Amino acid sequence: MTAQSEAPPAAPDPVSTGIGKLIVPSLIGGLVALTLGIYGRLHSPTGVVVNIAGFSSAGYVKSWLATIATVFAIVQVISALVMYGKVPRVTAPSWIGTLHKWSGRIAFLVAVPVAVNCLYALGFQTYSTRVLIHSILGCAFFGAFSIKMLILPKRGVPGWALPLAGALVFTILVALWFTSAFWFFSTFGVHR
Amino acid sequence: MKLNTPLVTLLAGLVLGVGVLVTSAVWTSGSPAAASAGNPYGSTSSSPAATTAAPVVSASSSPAAAPTTAPATPATTSSAPTTAATSAPAQSTAPAATSSGTQKGIPPKADYVGKVNGGGAAVAISVHGTKAVAYLCNGGAVASWLRGSVSNGKLNLTGKNGAHLSLDYRKSDATGFLMTDGTKYTFSAPLVHRVPSLHRQPGLYEATATVHGVMIKAGWIVLQDGSQIGSVEYDPGSAIPPTAEAPVLDLATGTAQYDGVTLVASMISGLSGSGF
Repeated sequence: MTAQSEAPPAAPDPVSTGIGKLIVPSLIGGLVALTLGIYGRLHSPTGVVVNIAGFSSAGYVKSWLATIATVFAIVQVISALVMYGKVPRVTAPSWIGTLHKWSGRIAFLVAVPVAVNCLYALGFQTYSTRVLIHSILGCAFFGAFSIKMLILPKRGVPGWALPLAGALVFTILVALWFTSAFWFFSTFGVHR
Repeated sequence: MKLNTPLVTLLAGLVLGVGVLVTSAVWTSGSPAAASAGNPYGSTSSSPAATTAAPVVSASSSPAAAPTTAPATPATTSSAPTTAATSAPAQSTAPAATSSGTQKGIPPKADYVGKVNGGGAAVAISVHGTKAVAYLCNGGAVASWLRGSVSNGKLNLTGKNGAHLSLDYRKSDATGFLMTDGTKYTFSAPLVHRVPSLHRQPGLYEATATVHGVMIKAGWIVLQDGSQIGSVEYDPGSAIPPTAEAPVLDLATGTAQYDGVTLVASMISGLSGSGF
């Protein structure tokens, strides 16, 4: 990077621009996912958790919180589409960026206690396809989210990187919701 | 220097996560009856009532639990044949059950069934020779099977996640507490009496089946008045099986319907030896 002012207008150093900037965030994201998975596997699930008043059980607390997170994630996708001008006849209002940022923060922070609860009380389980997928994606979600957060402030990142990271985060979260809250509500009914 | 807000978000999540983790670890260690700890899919509503040591509403059939129990046979409520049940308030011991008095000889074949103190859940204990089985459920998300042995007149029953039982036998009932998933249920369960009018007798029933590829295990406690409380565990082999209300057990046929599959219930009875 330091040589840019004197070098001829040759191709920029591939490592320091473009796709190279994704390497470190991806590695960190992978590390996050791996750490969560290893913890979930090694830690003996306690089966015992703290309950929140007003809900009939911890399973419901988690299912509702997960649903809330997913709803905010949907707001994320819609606001992102508007921001990128992908919604016909809708021009991005000035507050769309703020909406996107805050809906994302809320979704993430709401998901954190659910995930901690899951990891701590239930652990990384493999006894059925549903829980296996959920366990893997649960770890992947935080890895993907970390990648997205780490890419955001970087300049010169390829244009497709951020939308890809965002889409990945969203897809994983929805799949997580289907393998948990959706299944839970279907099995035990929808109520508090 | 411009604040790297995405990083702030990540760190906030990390701090929150660690905070929840530490809180969980602190709240769930130590005293079992504290802080509404319970089965992650368990109900919180039953624990405050069940942990009361006060010798309140004992092992008789109180209509208070009606919402959770399936209305199988709306039979007699207060005119239960076992008067021993209503005399329980006097003898319902403090939760430290075995500390009060000696443990009498356990009858070699016996079935005890009753509600826990405070209502909402029921317990069944069956003893057959040297083997014993106990079950507690609240017709919702709490279900606990305990199995074990009888030796030297003492019961040694354990279940998943550290569940255990402490009993004091008397002539006509078993008094003590059952500890499961951090909650202590005290009870005074009378001996089951045969009810001529019922096709299937009060007692403990279980059924297992594979539904959509996953094993389920249902347990019902049919009380002396013919009412029932049952819970079904989904994937009982797992560490913490999700548990919910069991479908109604038809006492005439001994079956129940679960998600299109017919469950055939078999009785666990120390008296007859069935299930042992």
